[in-house]
Amino acid sequence: MIRKILYATLASAALTVGAAHATETIVWWDFLSGGDGVRMKAMLDEFNKEHDGKVHIDATTLEWGVPFYTKVQTSAATGQGPDVMTYHESRMPLGISTGSLSPIAPEELAAAGIKASDFGPANWKAAQGTDGQQYAVPLDIHSIILYYNKDMLRKAGLLGDDGKPKGLDGAANFDAALAKLTTKEVAGLSVPNDGATGWRIFYTLLNQQDGQFFKDGKFLDGDNLDKATTALAEMQKWVKSGATPANTEYPASIALFTSGKAAMHINGVWEVPTMVDLAKKGQLFDWGAIQIPTFYAHPATWADSHSFAIPNRVGNPVDPAKRKLVLDAVHWFNEHSLEWAGGGHIPAYLPVQESAEFKALKPNSDYSSLAKTAVFDPVSTLAGVASPVYDASGNYVIPAMMGDMTPADAAKKMRDDLQGQAK
Amino acid sequence: MTASVETGADLVAPLASRRLARLRHLDLVGLVITLVTVVGAVLWAFPLYWGLVTTFKPEYEVVRPGVELWPQHFTLENYAHVLLQTKIGLWYVNSLITSGAVTIIVVMMAAGAGYAISQLEFPGRRFFWWMILASFMIPIPALIVNHFILMSQLRVINTLAGVVGPQLIAPVTVIIYKQFFDSVPKDFREAAVIDGASEFQLLFRIYLPMNWGVTTALAIITFIAAWNLFLWPFLAVSSEDKMNITVGITQVHDAFGVSYGRDLAVAMLAAMPVAVIYLIFQRRVTQAIMLSAGIKG
Amino acid sequence: MLRSKRSEYTTAAILMAPFVVIYGLLFVYPTIKMAQLSLTDAPLIGAGKWVGLDNYYRLASDRLFSVAVWNTVYFVILSVVPSTLVAMLVALGVNRLKGWTQSVVLAAFFLPYILPVSVVFRIWSWMFDKDFGIAQNAVQLFNNGQHLSIFRTIPLFMPAVAFVTVWWLLGFNVLLFIAGLRNISTEIYEAAGLDGASRWAQFTRITWPLVWPVTVLVFTINLILQLKIFDQVYLFANGGRVGATMVMVQFIFTEAFQMNKGGLAAAASVVLFVLIVVLSVVQFQLLRARGAR
Repeated sequence: MIRKILYATLASAALTVGAAHATETIVWWDFLSGGDGVRMKAMLDEFNKEHDGKVHIDATTLEWGVPFYTKVQTSAATGQGPDVMTYHESRMPLGISTGSLSPIAPEELAAAGIKASDFGPANWKAAQGTDGQQYAVPLDIHSIILYYNKDMLRKAGLLGDDGKPKGLDGAANFDAALAKLTTKEVAGLSVPNDGATGWRIFYTLLNQQDGQFFKDGKFLDGDNLDKATTALAEMQKWVKSGATPANTEYPASIALFTSGKAAMHINGVWEVPTMVDLAKKGQLFDWGAIQIPTFYAHPATWADSHSFAIPNRVGNPVDPAKRKLVLDAVHWFNEHSLEWAGGGHIPAYLPVQESAEFKALKPNSDYSSLAKTAVFDPVSTLAGVASPVYDASGNYVIPAMMGDMTPADAAKKMRDDLQGQAK
Repeated sequence: MTASVETGADLVAPLASRRLARLRHLDLVGLVITLVTVVGAVLWAFPLYWGLVTTFKPEYEVVRPGVELWPQHFTLENYAHVLLQTKIGLWYVNSLITSGAVTIIVVMMAAGAGYAISQLEFPGRRFFWWMILASFMIPIPALIVNHFILMSQLRVINTLAGVVGPQLIAPVTVIIYKQFFDSVPKDFREAAVIDGASEFQLLFRIYLPMNWGVTTALAIITFIAAWNLFLWPFLAVSSEDKMNITVGITQVHDAFGVSYGRDLAVAMLAAMPVAVIYLIFQRRVTQAIMLSAGIKG
Repeated sequence: MLRSKRSEYTTAAILMAPFVVIYGLLFVYPTIKMAQLSLTDAPLIGAGKWVGLDNYYRLASDRLFSVAVWNTVYFVILSVVPSTLVAMLVALGVNRLKGWTQSVVLAAFFLPYILPVSVVFRIWSWMFDKDFGIAQNAVQLFNNGQHLSIFRTIPLFMPAVAFVTVWWLLGFNVLLFIAGLRNISTEIYEAAGLDGASRWAQFTRITWPLVWPVTVLVFTINLILQLKIFDQVYLFANGGRVGATMVMVQFIFTEAFQMNKGGLAAAASVVLFVLIVVLSVVQFQLLRARGAR
């Protein structure tokens, strides 16, 4: 008996040792600190549990935007950094040009079961360099949406029988609706004051007028400047009319909406989980989310895509065996991206995107129509998250919105600034 | 005896006599000045208090309008969360290792160089002294680009050694040691030399022990500066495991959204060790600052 | 005699070696390399080709760089003058106190100085928070009862960061002034007091002239320190109007670590380096003048 126990103990000890040896660690960096970060954490836990004893992902969430991409770039250049990281497709041209991304060979993708045909063609191609090599695998498509408080819209006569807002299309109608919703205690609309949010709204409004931000090496060329001015003037109107509180910090702008001090809120889909979780705890009113209304000629919404990339660690590349594990993990996350859709996003992986489960998923289905008219950031080494274009938004779009600059002046200065950097 | 290490005693006597003088006629203006100073001090410390007290409030109390100087429901939940969910313990250790290493290396190195320049004759002595004086205020932030390149060539980027490296340039420390060694009376030296003491014995048995106060003061101030340094550790380290506390608390996000209470709790934890050092060694720290500016009593 | 000289040399060499090695490797060598790099178009890591003074010409016409230079100078003025003056006033006030009151009051003024910049950043973001910050109660008084996002309003950004910086570093300057004040012999005051000199006359005729050298010292130390401003501006501006609030070190940081332009960043570094060295020399001369007094 004792001998048996002893053997069992030894055997299990041996197993543990063996397992400890076999466990490979994948170092992972992301910037997902919004409401969606909670979902990613859950998915990571699930992955680690499922691969217990084989693969363990050691994830770090770094500050979104400039801090994240600065770290990525400097660490890659010095042979440091993670084995895999999240990367915005909008930033691929810049990331590739600074050499911080490692191309992924077709054989590697195939070995992991990753197929181009499982992704939207534009989505897949956006992760390619001008050299035609694949630098990333998409995870999602994400955008901005309009969050709204049903009770408040109903009171203002702006809610249809289907529970969705009505009468918001057209700039004049939208402004009129804002006026109806705005009272002494309640703001019509809350918007975060960071440059990134400013860019997303501005780019949406510009594209709804068929405006081209960047074309043939020129920024806001010809009448695109006027369209940009129109877009900025509309954003400024929200603040000037008193419907949108000026300069609300990101978390505070969400808090305004969730505490019932703002009837509507424009922000990324990644804050959907924030609302869902609050509602689940019974701490939120009846809320909804829709595609950004059509202000001008036709619908269009800014969009970007989170993807997975392998950093080009100079002098210390991620070894082939590790790359295989990484790509397997990437594929796993895509296969499980229905869960990621719970983070508000639209899965990039078509088998999930087209599944009945996703199509039935609320509230995603209320705004997923935006994908049809989504517009991605200009393809330029000056564009994308943590790029000169995003900086320019902070420098010109937001000041114009807050009334510190006239829309025409801001549009012109933004054009000249970016054109100056394009040299 | 080094003239510079001032003590409270120097201060008390003149104050007492002034006080006597003041008592002769009721000093209204003086009272007002004192009052303003005290009120100023309270206002100055208030942001610290306010930050601290916020960490003890549950989030709903934090965002409630109105000014509540004490939490209604006292909670340590913010601290519990931060301690459990972030790698703050590891960042502490990293800060401790790097700041400790910087302190030890800088002080030893500076004591040696200061002694050599102060007491020894060797070729190039004047040149070195001139060079050190000239680099009194080295613009280290202007060198970040090349420090980064150099550290990456040495393959120490993203290591604790890489964090320590550029912090070791400390001409001011050498200057202060030199000045203090200069003021040690020559008799001590001559007597010891006659007794057959070597230069190293002179340094370790006489000069350093006589200037023990200077060494602790310099060590404290070097440690504080290293602990609080932001720019270089921020650039040199990319992985969470190697971050020190000042960088970690601004670069790493826990994925649970923004919370004022937690953000401040982590900040308070970051500030605590140095605050404690200061409160224990208040007089030494004060002296160290005065010394570091080259002011001697 | 000769042998002892030689042993003295050896001892000196051993004692000097660590300092010289570190100084050479971490200061002299990078400085030379920086000058070289500034004449190339190299990325942050890797080689580039010689472009002569192109980077400097580019800086001269770079709008962002001129903004950065101007903001740096503006910040220096905004922070150095008040921190010198306020520190002197505080020191005069504190110096009158005695015993434990003095310790406590001094600690209150000094405690912020020992905080890491990230902590200062967190505390003041919270103080000034647009929606929940306690300081907004004061801001409202000057802004028609409205809250105001201090760090996102361009004209207020630099003054606000300067204000926070003064709060943070004042304690250091106060100590320097107190050290200076303690050196003034009390007999002078007593003599003046017996002669019935007014408090103001005491200050202008005795205190001020004697404190003047310390003032110059504090002023120049702060001047050089604040030219290197980066941390606070970076932290408070992140996500905001980076272009409008750029300072010189931040420009270097952005070009090198974000845009991967090592050569241009090095050129900007050289400009900053020269600026600081020139000011250091001036300061050194002032200190020497004081020492010779």
